[in-house]
Amino acid sequence: MTDDTIREMKDSFASSTVYRSEDVPLQCVPPPDELEDTLHGLMKLNGLIIRSLEEIAGRGANAVTYRAGRKYGHEVAKYFRKIEDVEEALKELSNILHGQYTIEIWKPADKDRYIIEENGSTFIYLVFHDCIVRQTLRRNGQPQGGPLCLTLFGYVVGAIEEITGRKAKLEIVHTGPNACLKKLILQ
Amino acid sequence: MYRDRVVSVIEIRVDENACNGCGLCVKDCPMQVYELRDAISVPVRAASCMGCLSCHEICPAQALEHRGVYPSRRHYIDIRVCEMLNRVI
Ligand code: SF4
Ligand code: SF4
Repeated sequence: MTDDTIREMKDSFASSTVYRSEDVPLQCVPPPDELEDTLHGLMKLNGLIIRSLEEIAGRGANAVTYRAGRKYGHEVAKYFRKIEDVEEALKELSNILHGQYTIEIWKPADKDRYIIEENGSTFIYLVFHDCIVRQTLRRNGQPQGGPLCLTLFGYVVGAIEEITGRKAKLEIVHTGPNACLKKLILQ
Repeated sequence: MYRDRVVSVIEIRVDENACNGCGLCVKDCPMQVYELRDAISVPVRAASCMGCLSCHEICPAQALEHRGVYPSRRHYIDIRVCEMLNRVI
């Protein structure tokens, strides 16, 4: 590396900003609309971590990320208000996650109710619309439905279990470019 | 020309001139929205569509049109689409 290169690099980080200990930043720097590069960097990093985890842990990666997500869901939702009604709890969770994930309670046209009972199991269909996980995977050309999706699954299951006090399970029904369909199975 | 179907919240149209009857949308749709009739895809259960747009992605003829689907936020450039476009261009 030449002296010029080093000087050029150092110059690019030079700043006359004065920080005092009481200074608390009140807004993002740079403003959010200039953060695209950062967002892409984050998505690449997440994709890379997940790809490496899959290479190292094979099929076990799904179990690890699911458990991690579920634990996180339980921890975060401890502070949410407790709601027994699952549909209400899902609505609340969707409001809390708004901006990162949007979840819609959904039913096929031939069903009358959102809580469906079929073959001895009770479940609710959920359509995941906005989803940073889907964006990350598609941005990196990685398939949907793998360990990163399972982190989110785990998170939703953990949060719902914590809010409602009921055991739950989530199953992927379909993954698409614009929305994904999942089944929240209540136990 | 578009073949109109039973109106629901989401409206789906298939361009009959473009559709080549490959049946990929029939196979791929998780809600069994499409059926092949006279070698053309017909959206017979559009009311069950949940707007995943997998059918758009898989249709080789770009014959499909959905109205009323919630457009999810996009934060990325779809590299598969870009690769395809680069090949075409
Ligand atoms: S958007 Fe999804 S659910 Fe709707 S018709 Fe297409 S594949 Fe089926
Ligand atoms: S995938 Fe496209 S071309 Fe094939 S049957 Fe469906 S609408 Fe027609």
